[in-house]
Amino acid sequence: MQDISLHLLDIIENSIRAQAKLIKIEILVQVMKNKLVITIEDDGVGMDAETMQKAQDPFYTTKEQREKKVGLGIPLFKQNAEMCGGGFWMKSKPGHGTKIIAEFRYDHVDRMPLGNLTDTILGAVIGHPEVDFVLKLHRHMVSGQQLDFEFDTRPVKRELEGIPLNYPEVYTLLQNEIKEGIIKTKMEEI
Amino acid sequence: MKTLEELRKIREKAQKQMKLRDSQHRIKIVVGMGTSGIAMGAREVMKAILDEVAKRNLDDVLVTQTGEKGLSSMEPVVDVIEKDKQTITYGNVTPGKARKIVAEHIVNGKVLTDYVVATQSQK
Repeated sequence: MQDISLHLLDIIENSIRAQAKLIKIEILVQVMKNKLVITIEDDGVGMDAETMQKAQDPFYTTKEQREKKVGLGIPLFKQNAEMCGGGFWMKSKPGHGTKIIAEFRYDHVDRMPLGNLTDTILGAVIGHPEVDFVLKLHRHMVSGQQLDFEFDTRPVKRELEGIPLNYPEVYTLLQNEIKEGIIKTKMEEI
Repeated sequence: MKTLEELRKIREKAQKQMKLRDSQHRIKIVVGMGTSGIAMGAREVMKAILDEVAKRNLDDVLVTQTGEKGLSSMEPVVDVIEKDKQTITYGNVTPGKARKIVAEHIVNGKVLTDYVVATQSQK
């Protein structure tokens, strides 16, 4: 994976396989604390402690476990975060969804760029019409100023009454909305 | 939210158009978005398809994405599903090929046999 948004997309797909109906994504940049924190929280089926351990360990993955949907995605994301002076945490319980937090040192020389967040979010939102998404972007600046953006698919879908999200004009509108939010919070790093 | 007002207008217009058809969409395009697909550029393929569908104003096409399909060596993979027709699976799709699939297959109904990796009859 060349950028953080591709990892994010991979985690989103995990949530969807876990039958999530609502996926919350938060990206927080704290310039003063030199931190970039990505949080993904879903309401899917969740995991027990053993499965969670396996999900984070690439060497534990045998063919048999692969069929249990444990892959390389999470270990790679974890490795990338830890390599950049950050950390990686998972919280999950069967029946209670999964929360993943990946923290990076913001100015670490090996930190991957956020990448194309617009296409990642737009693709996931349109590609999974049955799932709702909440995207929150926050940037805490050195000056104390805070830049925020929030995008929630629930009011959008209520308004659309079943018109597909990839309907040409809807697509253009959603793309502009997300893109503007990313630019506003200065998270465009491609 | 300004966007919601605009969405309402689009919806009203779209609903009028859709009354003229018997189903919401004529054709469905599904992009494989598993870990290997993502690593091989599936996100860019999805984006190219969405762009092309919007550019050509195809309002009877549904674009979605799905997880790993066991075709890892042929990622990115795209399915075209049409009622009463065989499902066509395209493999090793690039954004360029994806645009061609929309132009030829979706618009003109011509299957791009060179890119097809599997076909499947619908149950």
